[in-house]
Amino acid sequence: MSRALWAILLVAAAALFPPAAARVFLDTPIEREMGTVQKIFYFHVPMAWCMMLAAVVSGVAAAVWLFRASRAAEALARASGEVVLVTGACVLLTGPIWGHATWGTPWTWDARQVSTALLFLVFAAFVLLRAYGAAGSERLAAALAVFGALDVPIIYYAVKVWKTTHPTTDVVGTLPPSMWRTLFFALSPIAACVAGLVAVRYQVERAEQRLDDLYLANER
Amino acid sequence: MRGLRQTFLLAANDARQEARHLEVLATALFFDVVVLTLFGVGFAGLSAAALRVALPAMLWLAVAFVGTLALSRLFEREREHETFVALLVAPVDRLTIYWAKGLVGLVVLVLCAGLQLAGLRLLFPEAAALFARPGLLALLVTGGCVAYVAVGSVFASALATDRTRGVLLSLVLYPLSTPILLFALVATRALLEGHPAAGVYVGQLWALAVLLAAAGALTFESVMVPARPGGRSGRRR
Repeated sequence: MSRALWAILLVAAAALFPPAAARVFLDTPIEREMGTVQKIFYFHVPMAWCMMLAAVVSGVAAAVWLFRASRAAEALARASGEVVLVTGACVLLTGPIWGHATWGTPWTWDARQVSTALLFLVFAAFVLLRAYGAAGSERLAAALAVFGALDVPIIYYAVKVWKTTHPTTDVVGTLPPSMWRTLFFALSPIAACVAGLVAVRYQVERAEQRLDDLYLANER
Repeated sequence: MRGLRQTFLLAANDARQEARHLEVLATALFFDVVVLTLFGVGFAGLSAAALRVALPAMLWLAVAFVGTLALSRLFEREREHETFVALLVAPVDRLTIYWAKGLVGLVVLVLCAGLQLAGLRLLFPEAAALFARPGLLALLVTGGCVAYVAVGSVFASALATDRTRGVLLSLVLYPLSTPILLFALVATRALLEGHPAAGVYVGQLWALAVLLAAAGALTFESVMVPARPGGRSGRRR
């Protein structure tokens, strides 16, 4: 992963965010039933997509680390796992605000809400284990990330297989073109920011690994 | 065929130890009875409608608590007797350790779930609806227990090793097992309400159980024994 990549991604995110926000609030029509509060959709949905993608990346990288002891994969698993926490917190914050305005209650214990909260909890456990676990708990944390990534299809299909209050996954396809174009425009700065954060954490993790290696070499 | 024989040999060894001391089974069943008593005391005043909502949660919460206790004890016993390392270096496929421990854990958990169901039936007449389709109920309980044991065995085994036992199993296992409980709760509620799609929900639970068992089997050896950089040479086939 190039060292300049994170800077490019974060600069791109900063540059894209103002036009995306302007497009969401000024150029996209207000939804008839929900009103202005529906605008949160343009941030909540991309954030949820990024959270699920980061969880899958973390799970796959953790599996690669478990099977091949690749330290680059270990760093990527840790970086993505931490980003799942950040994006998950944003999803769990924006979702109830939207829910409160549309359903009259912020939390309905709907299957998708619960499975999203669980994904957040699993990766919180992953980050805690990596940060405070005893020596040898890295493999345990990696297995946790692998099983945590299995929660992603459950989140996706929760609205398809169970009756829930949450909008289904088909809702994006039913949006008027002006709305879904805005949704994908809003996705670009969020995705760039998330990818940039993963890249930054990956670089820091790799640097820590190199430092550990140097320390051990010096000890010998 | 050889792996199957090894699995049964290891499971028989655990079952023999269990038959001699009844350590895991006795503690798990006792804990089950304590939980049942607490449910009886705590929820006796609930209305029939509230009980129909609470009963599935009572069953699966008890399974989760008892499962954590039984699985951790199953592996902790090996560590205390210093036989875990012997098990790892024994001339058996390491995956058979996972299947054998899982099998014993499953038997304990199914017995505890059976006791829990019988107790709930005794304490709350509303639970009788669960027994209207006994075959489906058996499939539901077994499916939930298989899924729980599939995840729990991987993490209980990892926590039984010296270096990581300080980390609580519950910290790791409860967030991971909640999707299982979610599937199981939906299926149990459907069964309790006599919903025509109850069979479909039980099928979904089994699909999850198979997926988790496959993931557990894939990760078990790597969690127990670190891989060497660049490949699987640290692992044994």
